[in-house]
Amino acid sequence: MNEIICLKDVTKTFKDKKAVDGVSFSIRQGEVAAILGPNGAGKTTTLSMMLGLLQPSSGTVKVLGENPNSRKVREKIGAMLQEVSVIDALTVKEVIQLFRSYYPEPLSFEELVNLSGLKEYELKKRAEKLSGGQKRRLSFALAMAGDPEVLFFDEPTVGMDIHSRKIFWQTVHLLKNRGKTIIFTTHYLQEADDTAERIILFHNGRLIEDGSPAEIKAKLTRKSVSFRKTEAINIKGLENLPHIQKVSVKGGRVHLETDDTDAVLSSLYKLNGFWKDIQVDSGRLEDAFEQLTEEKEAV
Amino acid sequence: MNAFFMQSKAEILRILRNPYYVFWSLAMPIVFYVIFTRVFNTGIDGQQEWQAHYLMSMTAFSVMGSAIMTLGIRLVEERAQGWSKFMKITPLTDTAYFFAKMVGQTVIHTFSIIVIFTAGAVINGVALTPAEWLMCGLWILAGSFPFLALGTLIGTMKKVDTAAGVSNVIYMLLAVCGGMWMPLETMPSFLQSIGIWLPSYNFGNGAWQIVQGNAPELANWLLLAGYLFLFVVLSNYVRRNQEAAV
Repeated sequence: MNEIICLKDVTKTFKDKKAVDGVSFSIRQGEVAAILGPNGAGKTTTLSMMLGLLQPSSGTVKVLGENPNSRKVREKIGAMLQEVSVIDALTVKEVIQLFRSYYPEPLSFEELVNLSGLKEYELKKRAEKLSGGQKRRLSFALAMAGDPEVLFFDEPTVGMDIHSRKIFWQTVHLLKNRGKTIIFTTHYLQEADDTAERIILFHNGRLIEDGSPAEIKAKLTRKSVSFRKTEAINIKGLENLPHIQKVSVKGGRVHLETDDTDAVLSSLYKLNGFWKDIQVDSGRLEDAFEQLTEEKEAV
Repeated sequence: MNAFFMQSKAEILRILRNPYYVFWSLAMPIVFYVIFTRVFNTGIDGQQEWQAHYLMSMTAFSVMGSAIMTLGIRLVEERAQGWSKFMKITPLTDTAYFFAKMVGQTVIHTFSIIVIFTAGAVINGVALTPAEWLMCGLWILAGSFPFLALGTLIGTMKKVDTAAGVSNVIYMLLAVCGGMWMPLETMPSFLQSIGIWLPSYNFGNGAWQIVQGNAPELANWLLLAGYLFLFVVLSNYVRRNQEAAV
């Protein structure tokens, strides 16, 4: 498959601070990729470099095989930036028509209205008088104006209510089915997990994990088996059992962290007697995400 | 080409819908014109000459204002609100965007000139030959370029409030010291000696000469061209430094 975006050893330094540090990855045609990370991880800076809004301090960024600033690239990409800005003194309809005129093969006006969910009465409103949610819809319509091959969304759902979020992600799925390549940033793990086929995890300007949500989950989550102990047992001894990574005691329960809960269960049954009320916890990705970012911060 | 046409049209619409433009560039000059030709300075020698002279003053005052303020403040607003950044993602080039603004401004200036000239003809029956009307209009249109360049220089400022404040002060100083409100001859001599070097005086004087049946003075041409060059160089220099800082 075609490589749509390619970053090689990209570093961006602001004054003395490295916002992005030696990042390399590529995105293939038709992929839906989430750039995930806590605030300040370098997500927006990376996206801005892909859009040609910032130049990398070192390394190369190519979009569709070219410099992101080239006209050919601009004709084929669309983006929603984090701060939604609108031109003033023009109506929604006028702004959309203006943007359509920029592109060689724009989507029809009706289709843009449908995709963005803008209402008839909103089309006649002045763009600067729209509410936050309406501005988001307008900026989505503008991102789609040129029928782009590649779409960039920077924290697209910040400030959206639950209903708008749902509709937004449905539209993203629709676009994915049309073969668009979609890159979005988010600090909500759930969004990345639900929508993306691939998660690129950022922390402190570095790419720390890259893979499918399932792979990332498998790598990050810690499964565990826990039980209430019925008699004094040698906790240290449990550490020698196969597949056990860590043993801890919290609130009268013994927690055994493991990569294979089945194996731990069968060992426990063999030992028999001292346990009661066994629970298997497959590990929540949220916890893992938090843990991971905290751990890296501690290092 | 279609994009450029649409962009120019959008810029024109945006200025026409701006209440500041309608107030400062159309209403104010016409009100001043009425006050200083119908309320004061009536029954003076050379009444007709004064009415034609002051019509040119007010038209030049109007066009200078929209060139400096409308353009400058809007440029700052667009950058402050992230619109200019967003435009960089679209295929419309910076150059096309810039020239569409210039075309939009020029069309608006033409509109202001026609409206204020018509007001003068209606209010005071100012009668110039068709050639004189045309020459005055063209002079004011062409003479607005240095002020547009000054507008882009103001447009490099970071905050809208600063840009609005600074451009207001510059605008008023240029208008008063350049003899647009009161003829330069009525002012103290030290102000006159400064005034003749200002772009506003040279802008107005070209049109004042035309209504008296003369041609604009060579100094007017040269000084306006010099200011145009200076402001273009300065604003390019500032913008390049800002871009390099990112």
